Amino acid sequence: MRTSFNGSRSDPRAIAYARATIDLASRDVRIEDVPCRNLEDVLGGFGRSFQILAERTITHAFTPDNPLIVNTGVLTASNVMTGLRTYFSAYSPLKVSNKGLPAAIWSAGSCKFGPKLKWTGLDEVILEGRADVPVYLVIRHGEQGPRIAFEPAGDLLGLTCHEKIMWLRDRYADAHFAAIGPAGEHYEDCYMASVALSTENQLRSGDDKCRWAGRGGMGAIMGYKRVLAIVAQAPDRIAKLKPEIRDINKVASTGPGSRKFREKEKGGLGGTWSNYEPLEKFHFVPQNNFRPTGDGKPELMFRDHVQPQFVVKAESCFRCGINCHKNVYEKNADGTRGAFLAKFDYEPVNLLSTNIGIHDPRKAATLISLVDRLGMDNISLGTTISYVMDYNERHPDAPILNGARFGDFDKARELIEGAANGQFPEVGRGVKRLSEQLGETGYAMHCKGLEFPAYQPDTNPGYPWAIAGGHMSMATYMALALEGNTSLDYWATLITERGLYFVRDDLLGLCKFAGVTGDHAVEGLKHEIGFEVTPAELQAAVRRAFVRALWLERKQGYDRSDYTLPSEVFDRPNPNLGVPPFVTREFFSQLSDRVWAVFDREIDEIAKT
Amino acid sequence: MPRIRLTNLFAERIGGVNAVDVPATTVESALRALTDRHPSLTPLVWAKDGALNPVMVMFLNDRQLAAAEIGTPVGPGDEIDLVPAIEGGCS
Repeated sequence: MRTSFNGSRSDPRAIAYARATIDLASRDVRIEDVPCRNLEDVLGGFGRSFQILAERTITHAFTPDNPLIVNTGVLTASNVMTGLRTYFSAYSPLKVSNKGLPAAIWSAGSCKFGPKLKWTGLDEVILEGRADVPVYLVIRHGEQGPRIAFEPAGDLLGLTCHEKIMWLRDRYADAHFAAIGPAGEHYEDCYMASVALSTENQLRSGDDKCRWAGRGGMGAIMGYKRVLAIVAQAPDRIAKLKPEIRDINKVASTGPGSRKFREKEKGGLGGTWSNYEPLEKFHFVPQNNFRPTGDGKPELMFRDHVQPQFVVKAESCFRCGINCHKNVYEKNADGTRGAFLAKFDYEPVNLLSTNIGIHDPRKAATLISLVDRLGMDNISLGTTISYVMDYNERHPDAPILNGARFGDFDKARELIEGAANGQFPEVGRGVKRLSEQLGETGYAMHCKGLEFPAYQPDTNPGYPWAIAGGHMSMATYMALALEGNTSLDYWATLITERGLYFVRDDLLGLCKFAGVTGDHAVEGLKHEIGFEVTPAELQAAVRRAFVRALWLERKQGYDRSDYTLPSEVFDRPNPNLGVPPFVTREFFSQLSDRVWAVFDREIDEIAKT
Repeated sequence: MPRIRLTNLFAERIGGVNAVDVPATTVESALRALTDRHPSLTPLVWAKDGALNPVMVMFLNDRQLAAAEIGTPVGPGDEIDLVPAIEGGCS
């Protein structure tokens, strides 16, 4: 970013960001400094990309006019700890309105690709059109500015995400990589393909330890564009650490905001995996397609139960002190660490084990690793597989696909492989389409085409207002367990006043796990780029970005019929949940009225701008 | 006075304040003083039966406390963290 403050240090128009627009068909590249129009442009991430997407009229995700925007946040590559985010934004093949139009979405991933991209001299890359043959892009830092080259990608075809990254690692020094897997190459049949981002640990160890921009099928868009990988090659340009930023980082790495994700011996709670225990107290851990049975089997995946069988090592992204990666390794006979198996986070573990009736950590690790290698979003895939199994349980005489039922590991693996290689497009295109084809939508666990993460919809009537995944863009998914409040006032306030600010870090370039405070975010902007903004102004910008996303949904045909929950949440209450059912049709209807009374007005205001 | 450090879950309800100094001699009295001063935090800190919210975890100077240790004495300079045991996401 380039700043030219003339007096006021809080004028967004005094800041310009560096953008490369790459026409994949003609191979024309335009690099320019783009003046910021508003605070969302300065902050970056989806705050900026959604303004670009709003200028387009897109009726199908797989069209040359649908851009893939790869950008960073203002604090990506800064000295603020966890400033590592890369964002991929486009109209999604997976998230679609009932009218069939694709919705704008972003997906974020951490580690060093984002900083490397920024160190090439770019804040944003827009991929326009479609290449005529498979390519990978090399973005380099040059003396005269960023340089971009197209390279033939024939050698990469068919390789897993990790194999692509290793192939590129051996050819490009001091670089990081974004790559799709076989699923992205089969984009027509796999809308839930993800983008893998390389990590320092992966490049050094050779272990398959990518980070992921998973949600919404951004890997499918990359595959459609025939871009199999992006190389960001530049020397590290780490500025001297200022004392103010050191203080912020100290709080981020040792303060309360990151305790959940740190190891117990470092004053933490052990990562998202440890959600199992508190959620199981209420039988809120999804089982058998989000239908907890109360049989206690989720306990078999508790970390305390799993850990003795393996070596669990806490590792981290570049320069991050939180060590949130809970990497599971084989345990050798002498107790030492063996081969790397998989990274255990709550959502993939649950959706690829407990929620499909598998209660074996080794099998869970195998499936997680397989999904990662093939390059798919394990949330969308796990939730679609649990639907297939549920359908087959309900129709034992007329099962679909390979007849998979809950607990069938081998058939789950077949479905995963088949989703990635195009054999099972019914799975790869997500649960919304599959359930509509089958005429049984009542237990298809999604909102607006995006599958639920591992939190019960019976406990979260806020899901429909999440704009980019239920546990990353609306902080209501754990509210019932935290507070037990089932009043209409509480939920309307939570959704419209607090839950939406969860997306702040999806503009800034930070990881939510750092729990950076509002004051520290503002301090970070001041000391890293010299930009002065108040906490209230920052919050207002985040709110505008969120409401703009709702407006964009409306532009793509979303109406009240899209903002609902699977009908069985209303019609088939689960007696095994540890709280009385409260998300009735009447409750939800009243909640919708209350929520839209707030958002409708703001959407109208945004639409005018 | 001991200091209670708060995550954003709490701070967003009290104007963005992430740390509160309270006069107290035990962890419990510190938390009572916190919710007396900021009643909007009560449902996060306390269960309906008046006990600590079972989904919250206490730390005193980096040491995790069990719920039964809520009576642990505190003094000036002590730091109490209250952390929700449920948070999701992928890095």
